[in-house]
Amino acid sequence: MGIKTKERHRQSEEEKMRHRLQPATVLLYLTVVVFLSLFFTHPFYLLALFLAVAIVIFSFDLIREWSSYLKIGLCFLVVIMFVNVFLVREGATVLFLSPAIPGLGRIRITFEALCYGAGMGLRLLVIISAFCLFMYVVHPDGIIRLLGGRSYKIALALGLSLRLFPLMRADFLRIMQVQQCRGVNFHGQGWRERTVKTIPVIKVLLLSSLERAFQLAESLQARGYGLGKRTSFMRNRWRIGDKLIVVAICLVLCLSMWLVMRGQTEFHYYPRLQSVGSGDFFGAVFLGIFLMIPAFLNWGWKKWPTLRSRI
Amino acid sequence: MAYIKVENLTYYYPEAEKPALDNVNLQLNRGEFVLVLGRSGCGKSTLVRAIAGLLPDFYGGKLGGSIYLDNQEIRTIKREVLVQKVGMVFQDPESQLIMSNVEQELVLGMENLGLSVGLMQRRLMEVGAALVLHPYLQDDVTELSGGLKQKVVLASILAMQPEILILDEPTSQLDPVAGEEILTIVRRLNEEQGMTVILIEQRLERCFHLADRILLMEQGRIVQNQTDAGAFVQWATKEKSPFLPPIPKLFAGSSCARIPLTVKEGRQLLEKSSPHTFQNSSYNLSETCNTGDTNDSGKTRNALDTCDTCDPCDLLLQVKNVGYIYENGVEALKGNNLKLYKGDFLVLMGENAAGKTTLLKNIRGLLHPTTGTVHFLGQEIREKSVEEWAGEIGYLSQNPNDYLFLPTVRDEIVFTLKNLQLPQEEETSVDILLEKLGLHGLAQSYARDLSSGERQRVALASILAADPQLIILDEPTRGLDYDMKAQLGEILQKLQQEGRAILLVTHDVEFAAEYAAEIALMTQGTIIARGNKEEILSDSIFYTPQVAKLFQNLIDEPVITLAQGKLMLMKKIFQNSL
Repeated sequence: MGIKTKERHRQSEEEKMRHRLQPATVLLYLTVVVFLSLFFTHPFYLLALFLAVAIVIFSFDLIREWSSYLKIGLCFLVVIMFVNVFLVREGATVLFLSPAIPGLGRIRITFEALCYGAGMGLRLLVIISAFCLFMYVVHPDGIIRLLGGRSYKIALALGLSLRLFPLMRADFLRIMQVQQCRGVNFHGQGWRERTVKTIPVIKVLLLSSLERAFQLAESLQARGYGLGKRTSFMRNRWRIGDKLIVVAICLVLCLSMWLVMRGQTEFHYYPRLQSVGSGDFFGAVFLGIFLMIPAFLNWGWKKWPTLRSRI
Repeated sequence: MAYIKVENLTYYYPEAEKPALDNVNLQLNRGEFVLVLGRSGCGKSTLVRAIAGLLPDFYGGKLGGSIYLDNQEIRTIKREVLVQKVGMVFQDPESQLIMSNVEQELVLGMENLGLSVGLMQRRLMEVGAALVLHPYLQDDVTELSGGLKQKVVLASILAMQPEILILDEPTSQLDPVAGEEILTIVRRLNEEQGMTVILIEQRLERCFHLADRILLMEQGRIVQNQTDAGAFVQWATKEKSPFLPPIPKLFAGSSCARIPLTVKEGRQLLEKSSPHTFQNSSYNLSETCNTGDTNDSGKTRNALDTCDTCDPCDLLLQVKNVGYIYENGVEALKGNNLKLYKGDFLVLMGENAAGKTTLLKNIRGLLHPTTGTVHFLGQEIREKSVEEWAGEIGYLSQNPNDYLFLPTVRDEIVFTLKNLQLPQEEETSVDILLEKLGLHGLAQSYARDLSSGERQRVALASILAADPQLIILDEPTRGLDYDMKAQLGEILQKLQQEGRAILLVTHDVEFAAEYAAEIALMTQGTIIARGNKEEILSDSIFYTPQVAKLFQNLIDEPVITLAQGKLMLMKKIFQNSL
């Protein structure tokens, strides 16, 4: 990595608002999003959650990172729709009716089953997108600090795993390359032969990971890990940005409770899709706008330098 | 009264039959700078780990004898007291960093000690300022260079305010400039704070002159314990010990009344030398002139990397305008041109993250250039797969452990032969290779159990089995002691004489000066200079060996190897005698 480019990269990383947010704020936001996505069945509200998270991801310049998560999510969406369409025979609007197939009977594909699969897939996309946001916005050290106290050991293990996973992946690729340089061909044969050829790579990887784990443990031991009661160095203060997001989350929860009590967040797919009214639309729009507050703050932070010292 | 006292210390690692420390006795004074020397596996690291209290608590095994810190037996000292008395920095910064963020890494030890937030803030400010880490406090540690990572580790230890600082080869993974910076900080801590420093280091030219005490270990025992560097030099010269930095080694045979330890002292001696400075010189003219280790390929190149005297038929590698941009948008290489002919031995040098490894990977076909082309024997590299090139281009990556997984050294070599479906008259070809690399006695050993130098040679053997015409080596001297480096250098020179081309990346200027034919300097993704080693190394500030620094501007001829230095010194003696 060229030094100048790296320096620029470092500076641009420093300038991002997402790094100033408290891990607790981000975790609260994501927990609420995931919880609501599991609770809501109405596609309008699921779509509002998805769009809100997508816009926050977009404003945080994480589109490139999100795209790989999205690809996996879309694959799952297709699988869910496929499985739902073939297994669920409910629904009044028949799109396709196959002749009788021995053992399976007549396959009946309905519009409602298709929509139900899409709705469930959308829920999965919300959860996957929230996970992506968690991975790139919440620093592993932040989780360790957040949990602190008695949960420190678990948090340290979690933080180390998150940090070491990319290192292990890099090790794996490097060892593969080294073996290729010794003439090992990992491509073009049957899966059995490829597996056999990958075993040495995994062997080296495990040995190297074990050595690294040992060295890390020794470094921890030398720095007094496990002495007893430890303190926590919390440098980041709660900024106005954190507080505004927490207020927005509270508003979202209040609005959601009101909508739930009115029964607006439920949706019946079978036997026919229920009708939707303008109340559903406006409810989803308000919910989405409140959840987009981090994105609005980030854009404001980028545009008006005076806001930087405040948010 | 000794500050650190080691009495009859013996230690066996779990399940080991031979002791790693064999009846060690030692007394160190408060505020001393102690340099610990010795071959790989001689017990240096074990001794310092024992002083840091990591034995047997962390490693297990059997420990006999006693260690006293400030008159208190180490086993009776509470761990929270001990970790504040003794701080330890290990070899590889990557394997010591626990947290992802610099600031969190710095406070980790203090948090473990249960210090108050106010005190942590104060110490963080102090170590941040002292080691100039403030600009990086909110950075991700993975984004830092190797030198900065090691500084972060050092700062995190210093934040715990230890009285004794132990460093186990802290510069072995760093480039010369970053290595110098770490040692400068350590020297300041010793001189200005009075901190007791125990340093294990292989590159003696960087630290020999700093030491108040020099310990030399062999097979778990301390065989030399000297507070007089001059006396150590005399002993090492007499015993032909490899543990001498270049300047004392150069002067040691001159019967000079005073052996200089640093370039500065050496230059003063040369400038002031009178006929009486060198008396009864023991220099042997024929021995000195006939060293034969000046590696000159006899080819002359100009700045555009065209070779006037090279036979076009011998051209192996041609790199044309190669640039490379990583997926994350980082431009690692731009506009690189390079040609290598049969019998070339080129060392590529440059700061960390200059793009050296990326260039090697582009040449080997592990990465494909974003712009430009790489041709080997006239064929573009990307036309064949990585494994198909294995018979023509050998690649030894930074970590030899990546190669080793089979039960014996012999199996490692046979593995390559089988992969490439080479003739299986293994018994002869494998034995020849083992003999050539000095591994014959280790043929049935488990490679991962061998010393770092031996593992390096096994990995090299595993690629040489394919009989490649071009051998690429990435940082092969990391962590090797003087002997091992000399063995590796001689092996590479033999391969060069056989007509193979060698392209090697290293930060080790002394190694490059002794064994390479040519040097190329790289910075910010581009090769900016290439020429024979005398031309490049004698005219640099940091990328220059100690011998060259000694004679810089004192004589007109370039002097970079020890042999050239001896010859020049002899001339000087001769002139003065007139």
